[in-house]
Amino acid sequence: MPRSRRFSSALNRRELLLPYLLVAPALVVLLALSIYPLLYSITISLQQETPAGVVWTLGHFKRLASDNFFRTAMVHTFVFAAAALTCEFLLGLGLALLLNQQIRGRGLFRASLLVPMMLPTVVVGVVWRLMLNPNFGAINGTLKQVGINTESLTWTASPRLAFLAVIAVDVWQWTPFVFLVLLAGLQAIPQEPYEAALIDGSSRWQTFRHVTLPLLKPAILIVLLLRTMDLLRVFDQIFILTEGGPGFATEMISLYIYRAAFRFFDFGYAAAMSFVLLAVTNVVSVVYIRLLQAKA
Amino acid sequence: MRLATLLILVVLTFGCTQPSSQRQLTLAVVSGVEGEALKQAAIDYETQTGVHINIAQFPYQNLFEKELIDLNARTGAYDLIMLDDPWFPLFAGSQFLTDLTPLLQKRGQSGPDADFVATSVAVCRQPYETGALHALPYVGNSQLFFYRQDLFAKHNLKEPATWNDVLSAAKTIQETETAEGGGKMYGYVMRAAQGNAAVADFMPIFWAFGAEMFDQNGKPVVNSPEGIEALQFMLELGKYSPPGYASFNADEVSAHLLQGTAAMSINWPAWISAFSDPSKSKVLGKIQFATLPGARKAGQAEIGNWLIAIPRHSQNVEAAMDFLLWATSAEQMKRSALRGNPPTRRSLFGDPELVAKFPAYPVQLRSLESSRPRPRTPKWNEIENAFGIFLSKANSGELSPADAMNQANAEIEKILQRAQ
Amino acid sequence: MKRTRIFRTGWLVLALVAALAPVYWMLTISLKTEVDQFAIPPKWFSFTPTLQHYTDAFVTRSFGQYLLTSAIVAVVSTFFALLIGTLAAYALTRFRLPWNLDHKLSLWILSTRMFPAIVTAVPLFLMMRDLRLLNTKLALIIVYTAFNLPFVVWMMRGFFAEVPRDLEEAALVDGDSRLGALVRVVLPLVSPGLAATAVFCLIVSWNEFLFALVLTQTDAAMTLPVGIAGRVTQYEIKWGVMSAAGVVAMMPILVFALAMQRYLVRGLSLGAVKG
Repeated sequence: MPRSRRFSSALNRRELLLPYLLVAPALVVLLALSIYPLLYSITISLQQETPAGVVWTLGHFKRLASDNFFRTAMVHTFVFAAAALTCEFLLGLGLALLLNQQIRGRGLFRASLLVPMMLPTVVVGVVWRLMLNPNFGAINGTLKQVGINTESLTWTASPRLAFLAVIAVDVWQWTPFVFLVLLAGLQAIPQEPYEAALIDGSSRWQTFRHVTLPLLKPAILIVLLLRTMDLLRVFDQIFILTEGGPGFATEMISLYIYRAAFRFFDFGYAAAMSFVLLAVTNVVSVVYIRLLQAKA
Repeated sequence: MRLATLLILVVLTFGCTQPSSQRQLTLAVVSGVEGEALKQAAIDYETQTGVHINIAQFPYQNLFEKELIDLNARTGAYDLIMLDDPWFPLFAGSQFLTDLTPLLQKRGQSGPDADFVATSVAVCRQPYETGALHALPYVGNSQLFFYRQDLFAKHNLKEPATWNDVLSAAKTIQETETAEGGGKMYGYVMRAAQGNAAVADFMPIFWAFGAEMFDQNGKPVVNSPEGIEALQFMLELGKYSPPGYASFNADEVSAHLLQGTAAMSINWPAWISAFSDPSKSKVLGKIQFATLPGARKAGQAEIGNWLIAIPRHSQNVEAAMDFLLWATSAEQMKRSALRGNPPTRRSLFGDPELVAKFPAYPVQLRSLESSRPRPRTPKWNEIENAFGIFLSKANSGELSPADAMNQANAEIEKILQRAQ
Repeated sequence: MKRTRIFRTGWLVLALVAALAPVYWMLTISLKTEVDQFAIPPKWFSFTPTLQHYTDAFVTRSFGQYLLTSAIVAVVSTFFALLIGTLAAYALTRFRLPWNLDHKLSLWILSTRMFPAIVTAVPLFLMMRDLRLLNTKLALIIVYTAFNLPFVVWMMRGFFAEVPRDLEEAALVDGDSRLGALVRVVLPLVSPGLAATAVFCLIVSWNEFLFALVLTQTDAAMTLPVGIAGRVTQYEIKWGVMSAAGVVAMMPILVFALAMQRYLVRGLSLGAVKG
């Protein structure tokens, strides 16, 4: 970029310092409130209080290996993330393809779909507690009205239904996001490749498979990356909707860490668990970023 | 850390300072009848003395977390806290609460008023019964057995003395009765949501079957044959409980009783006032209260008193103590009792005006005086959480009773080992 | 052709109903008397509306105070995040730092946004405890500023990159200082982007739950989401009050979100996809 170099050379000495001065406040804030807490967390995860005082130990990490609740919460988190991600992606892609054409009322449709995803997650929890209440919730009430026996549909009270319910709530809230990003991706695809495919006589499926999908790949990967990150740390809605219950059926890793820290006041153990979560999300994001760069 | 402080200084110019705490107290109370009465009392106190009282009101689970966070952080944000008695060993054992005896002595009293029921004062001491006094009892809850007198009379059933009586009565009623308006009538309603709810409802059955949580050496033995049998019985009774009871909390239980869709349950006496409130109850005058049924052993209720304590890091210990003594005085406790809370003073259980309004008082006093506390360990909240998860799992059909108890026992053992 | 159109419209209507019905249901609960709330079959349309739950929540109970706290925290933290983040974003787009540092710093800043919230919640709680900042709005302002900062940097980087450099150079030649050029020439050009970024930060701070849950225990410091959550768990659930608070909590967000629809995709994808 010769242009930019010429531009920089115009700066005088004082201006050479300027970029550092401008970036400094941001770095200070992030160091103090993201990096320092992380380091702090490492130290407490390696310390344990004993009658003889605080000692350095790997005890918390050893406990992880034999903690069945931790393992179960991890498994739940992954199953939840995989199931919700799949549904959100397929539904979002389907809607985006449907709407990537001139349709009357498209603006209204887009605006309405914004509602679930912009809602405070706490409110989402409240909304669905109202909907899913077995006695007077709208869902069972409506089903009863059309003659379906709802006695066994206790939603948040049965382990399996509760797990489905928390997945469904996430799908409800975040499919619109997947849809919007994929729609934006679709609209950025130029017309020419489609015209070429038309001339080749490709079927619609072939066009989708060989033209649309490859060109949409960056948008797909971005949206999957962002959703995966969010799903792995899910907390708010479940905290409101089921609090991890019934039993342990919808306990996710963030909830379990929260409980360890703020119900049982075992900060060291909570910190140790959060490093496992951090490592997992890191690995996942690195994989996605590799995939993203592979296309470039 | 210094970096953070720098940033704070910058933002401080925005003036987000806290108001100073002169002549004001902050009080953490629970939502529901128990907290509502104290809240009302606080408002009276404010008009009488001019001391401004801020109220922070939370549902049961949240209250515990908020209080523990505050106590642990030593912020002194709360000057007085309302706490459920099973939380007490943790709070007092961690040196979070003010020792009340010196404060009493300063006021010319050698100890808590002798009028308090012995079992209620016992849970305010750490260690149990014998140790230093760190709280005063405010609400004298101990479990009672609630049943529908009208239905029992109709089917010629006697007040249940044993859990087997309960089971057969539940069966009879569920099979023959329909609820008002044609809905389904359930024989029994219990709460088995993970955590406090499941454990609270299970303990009286567990004890009655002769099971114990710990042996003499403090080793957990919940998976004893008696323990497993008790859980099997709970599941049997669950067949006569409304579907979804594995996630019920206290509100669902009382909703079923008040709506007349369930015939029996274990419940806290603080709820009794709701049954005579025509705007809430469809079963006016139909509910009778009894002491808990037995099985292998005589029935024993769990004590569930609400206590009031002063956090050690409160900035207003003296003012808080004045309020505490005022609120637990016979005169104020009577007002609280009229608002629906069972008292903790013997004199009030015999007060003619109160007995006229709450005919169950003699039963309640008997139940309270013979009640027993949940195991007194600072690890109780962790143990309750783990135990509750497995009870809930057994009730939702995920685990067999034996598996649930074995796994619960292993988990409790781990918790205790970590504590050492 | 016509059949596919009907088929398509059918799907879209279904999606629309699914997206809006639950929110509408909450709205009706907030406006119904208790008798109507529990009615079976459910009353979707015909009921006599009442505002009693709104007055109960915002006049009798402390929700008005939570609302105020939420607003203060959101506005102040957004202001600081924008101030600090915009300066950094400008530096990182307009200057080339040695060792490719500008690029590396940008990526590093973005990566801090990827931390699961619970990972930093535990140490931040302990830090705020030691600084005696629990139960203050200040603690939330600080945390949200840091939380929004990476986002501001990435969004604004994108907007700055779209401004041609010629305009600044012209201003510099005219004798303006660097910051003068930024304020007088560049900022007006990116002002729509700045506004969109601000709205995003406001929404994120307004909706945030976990940090607020951990850092505030008193009525005076609690935000709206924590206030709502505090009323929802077990025991005595006041459905009407809860729904009324939920409706009020979502209103400003919806207005904002509709106002900046154009930048929505870009904002939600941290600037990665231009909608």
